[in-house]
Amino acid sequence: MSLATGRQSESARAASAAEARYRIDVPIAPARAARVVALDDRAAQVAARLAAHRWAHAEFLRADAVGELRELGGGPLPLTAALIGADVVVVLATEDGGRDTAERIGRHCFRYGITTAGVVLGQGFEADDAVAALRPYARVLLLSADESDVFELLTALRV
Amino acid sequence: MGELFRQYWIPAMLAEELPETDGPPVRVKLLSERLVAFRDSEGRYGLVDEFCAHRGASLWFGRNEQGGLRCPYHGWKYDVSGQCLEVPSEADNSSFCQNVKLTSYPLVKIGDVLWTYMGDAATQPPLPEFEWTHVPAEQTYTSKRWQQCNWLQAFEGGIDSSHVTFLHSGGLKTDPLFKGAKGNEYNLNDTKPFFEVADSDGGLFVGARRNAEDGTYYWRITPWVMPAFTMVPPRGDHPVHGHFWVPIDDENCWTYSFDYHPVRPLTETERQAMVDGHGVHSKNIPGTYRPMANMDNDYLIDREAQKRGETYSGVAGIAMQDASLQESMGPIVDRSKERLVPADSGIIKARQKLRKAAVALRDEGVTPPGVDPEHHRVRSAAVVLPQAESFLDSCRDAVKAVPGTAQHTV
Ligand code: FES
Ligand SMILES: [Fe+2]
Repeated sequence: MSLATGRQSESARAASAAEARYRIDVPIAPARAARVVALDDRAAQVAARLAAHRWAHAEFLRADAVGELRELGGGPLPLTAALIGADVVVVLATEDGGRDTAERIGRHCFRYGITTAGVVLGQGFEADDAVAALRPYARVLLLSADESDVFELLTALRV
Repeated sequence: MGELFRQYWIPAMLAEELPETDGPPVRVKLLSERLVAFRDSEGRYGLVDEFCAHRGASLWFGRNEQGGLRCPYHGWKYDVSGQCLEVPSEADNSSFCQNVKLTSYPLVKIGDVLWTYMGDAATQPPLPEFEWTHVPAEQTYTSKRWQQCNWLQAFEGGIDSSHVTFLHSGGLKTDPLFKGAKGNEYNLNDTKPFFEVADSDGGLFVGARRNAEDGTYYWRITPWVMPAFTMVPPRGDHPVHGHFWVPIDDENCWTYSFDYHPVRPLTETERQAMVDGHGVHSKNIPGTYRPMANMDNDYLIDREAQKRGETYSGVAGIAMQDASLQESMGPIVDRSKERLVPADSGIIKARQKLRKAAVALRDEGVTPPGVDPEHHRVRSAAVVLPQAESFLDSCRDAVKAVPGTAQHTV
């Protein structure tokens, strides 16, 4: 390129707005099979609203009172079956009730190399234990988040 | 986003650019406006419209004399507030010139920086209180460089802790302002940090966690104060550094880079290293704020140094390693083509906060986070904590700027 113009360096020419137009434009295939797991009732309400949006592969689940996973509005699923084929799991919590489930999910994902993200909705003080249970396993913890943060996270991850 | 920036005091230039009274005026472009800065006979700073109200000559050519800047074309003269003082051609010039006033903004020296506020005078906030500009002069150093890309993609590098282990790996071992800290070993030994992102009053804290000794984590905590102030977590007893990214226009920004020590003067060696462009600073072309290594010379890329492992990308210096890659994305990177990962959550959240603040300001007139000077009193920190502890709970004091106390560092 620098030879062609004779003036500008290759980097200067390549970094111009004019050259930016030539970046190959192909649609980005969603690469992530995501599971969004709500650990408690309030988190499940958020998950239900999020599930109403259009997603590529994301599936939304919730933990029930005994720590089993279920599809939103569906029957129970063993944890292993629920997370089969997933490559990212986003865990939503608003309080400590889901602590044990958080730990089980964390362990499972760690063992199977599934990237885990934890999102604490609200001020987070009520979810300290759930966060502590997830901390060793979650690649990222978003604390003091709100519903739109989860939406933005899932959108950015193209799930 | 322009309106959002106009809620804040932002760096306009370095104090060294206007060293003397009645010195030459300096062109300043900020938030897509062309301005000229000068210091009048009494030492007052002025930041006014670059172009003369008469027929639009650039006041960069102005004569800075006797309490004002005089346009050399037909002699109109302005004071630091942009008020026209004299129109020589008018018989009764007092009443005519009263009505002539150039747009102007306040320009205030705090530390080594001249700050301006480009918003509505009615909502001008109190002056900024960032610690780096309030410690004694011998404890602080600030440089700036022109970066040829949108401010946001530059700023995002400041809260992106995961690139350090790769891009800056050479610098961790050799840079005089980085090397030797215990924390560097943790950094280099664990290339897959875990992240926690939490709201602060003024923006965010991004915590990056790596394995340390058994049962402990090494945490690096990066604060962001909206809109564009970030600090790098400290290393050992090295001075603490950080940045302020200021939009020049949509495709250019000023990167202000600072280093300060909260409780001791910088040593001669440290200050010289900063002047020489080590650490977060750049070596600039003398008389300018353009880095010597820039896109016009391919950043002086050295493929042999890359092969030898001295630099990871072939570009020398931490500042230019960042700038070269951020500029290579193009003047405004196309974010619709990104593939973000959970480790990018800090960036995802920061964009979200900026957008929310801009919308709340536009629709409801809500003052954004980071305007209140109380929000400026933050610090970065590097700490080793037991695994069970949350960095936010354990580091409340460490991330607060308390004058006269040392930084928390490993
Ligand atoms: S253009 Fe400035 S005085 Fe005429
Ligand atoms: Fe960097």
